[in-house]
Amino acid sequence: MTHSHMMGARFPRTFLRVVTAASLLTIGGCQAANDRVLAVTDPDIVFPNDVGSAEAAVGLANGAIGTFRNITGAAESTWLFGGLLADEWSTSSTFIENDETDQRRIREFNGSVTTMLRNLYRTRSRANAAIKALTQYSPTSRAMIAELYLARGYAELQLASDFCNGIPIGDTSTLPPENGTPRSYAEVFALSGASLDSAIAFANGTDAQSVLINSASKVARARVAIGLADFTGAATFVAGLPTSFAYRHTFSLTTGTNTLWGQGLSARRYSVGDSVEGNARNIRVTNAIPFASTRDVRLPTVIPTSGAINGQDGQTYARTTTMWGQLTSVDVATGIDARLIEAEVALRAGNAVSWLGILNALRAAPPKLGEIQPTALPPLTDPGSVEARVSLHFREKAFWTFGRGQRLGDMRRLLRQYGRTEANTFPQGVHYKGGSYGTDVNIPIVTDERNNPNFKGCTDRLP
Amino acid sequence: MYITWRRAAALAAMLSLAATSAHAQQGSGGTITVRVTSATEQRPIESARVFVLGTNLSTATAPDGRSTFRGVAPGTYTIRVLRVGFSEQTKRAVVTSGATTTVDIAMSVAAVSLAPVVTTATGEQRRTEIGNATANIDAASVVEESPIGSLSDLLNSRAPGVTVTSGTQTGTGARIRIRGSNSVSLSNEPIWIIDGIRMTSTNANFSTATGNGAGGNTGGNNASRTGDLNPDEIESIEIVKGPSAATLYGTDAANGVILVTTKRGRAGAPKWNIYSEGGTVVDRNSYPTAYSLWGKRPGETVSSRTFCNLQRVGTGECLADSTSALNIFNEKDLTPLAMGNRYQLGGNVSGGSDAVRYFVSAEDEREIGVLSLPTFERQRFDSAGIPLRSWVDRPNQMRRRSLRVNLNTMISPKLDLAMSSGFINVGQRYSLESNSTAGLGSQVFGGPGTRANGNVTGLGTPLNGYRAWTPGYSWQEQTAQSVNRFLWSGQVNWRPFSWLANRATIGNDFSSISDDNLLYRGEGPPLTATTRLGSRGINRNSTNNLTVDLGSSAQYRLFGLALKTTAGAQYIGFRAAIASTGSTQLAPASQNVSSGTSPVVNEFTTITKTLGVFLEQGVAIRDRLFLTAAVRSDQNSAFGTNFQSIVYPKASASYLISQEDWFKSPTWLSALRLRYAYGQSGVQPGPNDALFYFNAGTTNLAAADQPTLIQGALGNSNLKPERSTENETGFEAQMFEGRLSIDATYYNKVTKDALIAAVLPPSYGSVTTQLRNLGSVKNSGWELGVNAQLVNRSYFGWDVNVSASGNANVVQSLGDTPPQIGTTNRTVAGYPIAGYWAAPITSYRDKNGDGYLTYYADTAKNEVFVSDSVVFRGYATPRYTTTILNGFDFLNHKLRLNSLWDIRRGNLWYNNTDRIRCTRPNCSGRNNLKAEFVDQATNIAANEAAARSLDGFLQDGGFVRLREASLEYRFSPQLASRLLRARSLSMVLAGRNLRLWTKYRGVDPESGFNTTSGTDAPSEFQTIAPPSYFTFRFNLGY
Repeated sequence: MTHSHMMGARFPRTFLRVVTAASLLTIGGCQAANDRVLAVTDPDIVFPNDVGSAEAAVGLANGAIGTFRNITGAAESTWLFGGLLADEWSTSSTFIENDETDQRRIREFNGSVTTMLRNLYRTRSRANAAIKALTQYSPTSRAMIAELYLARGYAELQLASDFCNGIPIGDTSTLPPENGTPRSYAEVFALSGASLDSAIAFANGTDAQSVLINSASKVARARVAIGLADFTGAATFVAGLPTSFAYRHTFSLTTGTNTLWGQGLSARRYSVGDSVEGNARNIRVTNAIPFASTRDVRLPTVIPTSGAINGQDGQTYARTTTMWGQLTSVDVATGIDARLIEAEVALRAGNAVSWLGILNALRAAPPKLGEIQPTALPPLTDPGSVEARVSLHFREKAFWTFGRGQRLGDMRRLLRQYGRTEANTFPQGVHYKGGSYGTDVNIPIVTDERNNPNFKGCTDRLP
Repeated sequence: MYITWRRAAALAAMLSLAATSAHAQQGSGGTITVRVTSATEQRPIESARVFVLGTNLSTATAPDGRSTFRGVAPGTYTIRVLRVGFSEQTKRAVVTSGATTTVDIAMSVAAVSLAPVVTTATGEQRRTEIGNATANIDAASVVEESPIGSLSDLLNSRAPGVTVTSGTQTGTGARIRIRGSNSVSLSNEPIWIIDGIRMTSTNANFSTATGNGAGGNTGGNNASRTGDLNPDEIESIEIVKGPSAATLYGTDAANGVILVTTKRGRAGAPKWNIYSEGGTVVDRNSYPTAYSLWGKRPGETVSSRTFCNLQRVGTGECLADSTSALNIFNEKDLTPLAMGNRYQLGGNVSGGSDAVRYFVSAEDEREIGVLSLPTFERQRFDSAGIPLRSWVDRPNQMRRRSLRVNLNTMISPKLDLAMSSGFINVGQRYSLESNSTAGLGSQVFGGPGTRANGNVTGLGTPLNGYRAWTPGYSWQEQTAQSVNRFLWSGQVNWRPFSWLANRATIGNDFSSISDDNLLYRGEGPPLTATTRLGSRGINRNSTNNLTVDLGSSAQYRLFGLALKTTAGAQYIGFRAAIASTGSTQLAPASQNVSSGTSPVVNEFTTITKTLGVFLEQGVAIRDRLFLTAAVRSDQNSAFGTNFQSIVYPKASASYLISQEDWFKSPTWLSALRLRYAYGQSGVQPGPNDALFYFNAGTTNLAAADQPTLIQGALGNSNLKPERSTENETGFEAQMFEGRLSIDATYYNKVTKDALIAAVLPPSYGSVTTQLRNLGSVKNSGWELGVNAQLVNRSYFGWDVNVSASGNANVVQSLGDTPPQIGTTNRTVAGYPIAGYWAAPITSYRDKNGDGYLTYYADTAKNEVFVSDSVVFRGYATPRYTTTILNGFDFLNHKLRLNSLWDIRRGNLWYNNTDRIRCTRPNCSGRNNLKAEFVDQATNIAANEAAARSLDGFLQDGGFVRLREASLEYRFSPQLASRLLRARSLSMVLAGRNLRLWTKYRGVDPESGFNTTSGTDAPSEFQTIAPPSYFTFRFNLGY
């Protein structure tokens, strides 16, 4: 008899019984204890149950406004990419995303555009969440609620100004969020108008912050109105706003610096646009405003003529402006915008004297632009024809609003509202990085949005 | 933790109590002494595994060939002895109470032999009893005779189905895939277990709060925690390839398990081994030449290189004058490459008695990579009086010191303890490279075809053909990592009865890592307006990986069957706590983070816990048919709240069919084994993937910094681990008296509930992705191993080992998510994970015969045609691999020549270096008036054609590589003694990465900038390719 035989079956049966009991104990008999064993506390995150207070609501509001900053000057946004697609900026970057945007041949899966688009939508959804929280926990914070409506409306304004038709809009307050329905730019402008109307209504206090938000919201609301060709309405919104007011986004060394400076003067990925390109300055860019070579005091620009200052791509002599420093705040809505809207309304109304008067008043006492305090500019003279006045107006506006996300929308309006064509408005010809300019007049909604079953691509790429 | 310990102790107590009560009196028993010798030379054989069948008793023989079992219950037993290189032997032994039974076993040499014993989750097991294919690497001997500088070198090309792609710079990690990629969104890296405990194996383990590498790292490959290990401390590596074998390793094991066993002491007098290695590291790659095309626009008189390219020459927009060319790597004064070197000095001692055995080793290793400050830069530093810091001089190097102490103690015949402890200190530094604008790659690959390209912006330094600044500026930024790592484990084996063995293992892998970035004020490249104002970043990472593993095995017989039941429980707790601080715009001469005016502070914590139990039942029928069934249940802290636990089953069969009397085998067939295995395993989601939560941060509002809360994740309460199910079948055959063995395997692995990072529509206004259990991925393939002893004479021997594998990977479903679309890679149902997609270049022809291909929108004039449709172009990683290891013995086996040939094919490799060079622009296809048409078409398709297709840069990635060659001479014991009074002496001359044959048009189809990033599509991108090694090693024994 072997040792094994001698043991018989009694031992394994006992062994198995114990193993089974132990397994049951571990698997199911003590689930609550297992849950305790497996419970983890990650200090990196905050759970929804912990944000039910007035202070947390303010934290959410701060987060939403922080995201609002990302669609203006705190991150690479459509302020910059819209300017690339238009004529404000030229690419001096190594990134294909920048190059194809400057070349007006943007692919649907452009990664940079994807980030910018997400930030625009996040501004909407985070503003909504914060409005809900403030309404519940701190309903008297009306100025803060107003600023959140401004953020939401401004994001919608930028969506309508910069992107193609077929912009999906859905209810983001549900979990999971609703699949948005593609809307035309006009519908999104209207949506923005509603948000900004709420902002104006909430910013009805007399304290400085309420007044500031009220003014900024009215300027944005007026931009919505002119986007929809409601010029009379636009004038109503900005009437009486002081030229000196400015709603700004600010920066610090600890929470992020000015990206217009960071991507422009600092990293030299964006070069101030011009009508001649190439290091030999021998490539004519048809239709482009010579922002750099005009040497306008509103946009002081360094134009290198040798290899001393190269762009980030190492090949383009990048033209840089000192308009913004590392911590210079950016103007989101200002009294200058209000005056330019009034001037355009006057122009539309055929009142050339008023139009020119408004522009020349700004030129006579130029407000500060970023770090630049322009000296007084000589007055403009009336070019005489409507076409020439329109050209002059938009050129003048382009200098006053340089880098602030308005130029692309204005060029699209030239096509929509002033009978201009893509061929006589947008940059044309040979591109200095190879190939020729394409035909894009707006930014496409990106591939990621195709995860929304309602979205099948831009409805059209019309202006 | 407290709960776990208490329950673990209770489980162990219950098991032992049951055993004690069931068999309270066993008697004092007898003793078995086994003496193992070689049949031909009658010399004792050390390290043979001796098993007493029907019990849990096993041990290894001492240097005198003996092993002893005390307290064995009286009875008749079968003794089995296994040893690599010898045929298995069995003998019966009769044990009587109080007496010693001596069993002499003579082992016959096997011409070809695989490791006879393998490590499993339930303990050591005879290979023939297992239904899975297993790969075993005899690390101890490979390291002695091959050019092994890292653990990835040790793994590379040594096991079928295991594909290793090493990092490029010295000290960087590797990408390992076993039987393809299973997961669309989670890691496809295997898990590692060392001496019974889970080992931290994080890849791309480098990050700093400041610095100009991409994403806080180097911009290229980064450190790997597996790379910390010293290969000389390792006895063996076993690779558990798929879910059918990895089931009992639980959640996370679906990508395979790599089991590392460190060296152990052997009873006997102290045996000292001392080794020393020195050698050179040489970059023998051919790098691309930069071209500039000089010409004039019509009407101009001055020739320049800024406007013209071949397309514009073709269209007449440019009148070409000439092409100038510069290859920085071929210019002695410009090249950033020089000869590197490595040295290694180490030793170990092992010995002891039956009661206590020890192994102690120590090693010092240093490797300096090939990057070196160019001559013209040294002259600049010298003439300008700029301090030449060590990291500027040689930016890439690694120093590793390791100490290991392993002890085995036999407290009683029923109780033994094993303790392993290893301390590792690593210091390494890297050059910023590849995807770092500040780094070397962007500069050395991006400049024009001339030295006369101006000066560094604002600094006046001649560029000499570098793009925007020269290496001295890039390398002034220090990017370094130091690691102090302590791995320890203790294992208690308690055999209260011969039929019952209990084991308890506890251990921890602790790492203290410091990632450092330093750029003094006034130094570095003019990347931005603030770069040269200095930066300092420190990332302190403390990682603990705790394992508690309990198991109990009973062996018994029922109904004439030999049965083995094993139960176990396992707890794994991982915690990484990172405190990261940094600042920019430092005070002059300061290297202290507190002097910066722009501070950055971050904190990260990662915690995961897994608790699993398993039960395995084995049945042996007539010692030739082995059946196993098992189940494991896991719970994990990362599972969703609606998902509590997961159960993974497995079953396998191994059949030694040639031992059947009815099996009429031909005379040439010595043995035949059939095997089949089925099993499941999983990969768990990330620790917070199931949760909806907010992230806290800061922003600046109205010129004041304010705290913020924003949504951090959408969460998924239904989240569960991926479940991979594998069926594997195969056979092993021994032929021609063991001179030839064939091991063939077919596997079919399907991953269900595959976790997909579903891209959310931007319009959600939410996070970018949400993990969902949506997909299904299938991997099927075959593996073949052939070992042959072709000639075995005293004057000449020739053995060959061929390993081959093929893999088909297909995404069966992505659920309701659309395809994942990247610039070149897509994951689409019906195609492999991260396959390459592009609009094909359908044809090109120089219609007008001007020597240049030109794109026109007018098809009648167009010379390069690109399809409008983007289609699948190929796998991103090799589908087929073949490794041929040839060994030749001369001079009575004293001189041995080894060569390792590696063949990989069936994939494309993305020449992203050339892609970006064509946009700089300096590639041949764009600027070289003598460019081949294929290069011209590639450039035109990418940069001129309406489709803008990168098709031409997706190039055949197949290659044949002479990966290793070595020549080893073993001195006779007499000569070793006479020369150095040594017991043994050998010398090895070896080379690694010696020759490459490929159709790939880039530098090297294994040169990947993102090898360690977790990608399933590594690619070359401004990358310094893998170097060659030439080493000389002494092995000395006393």
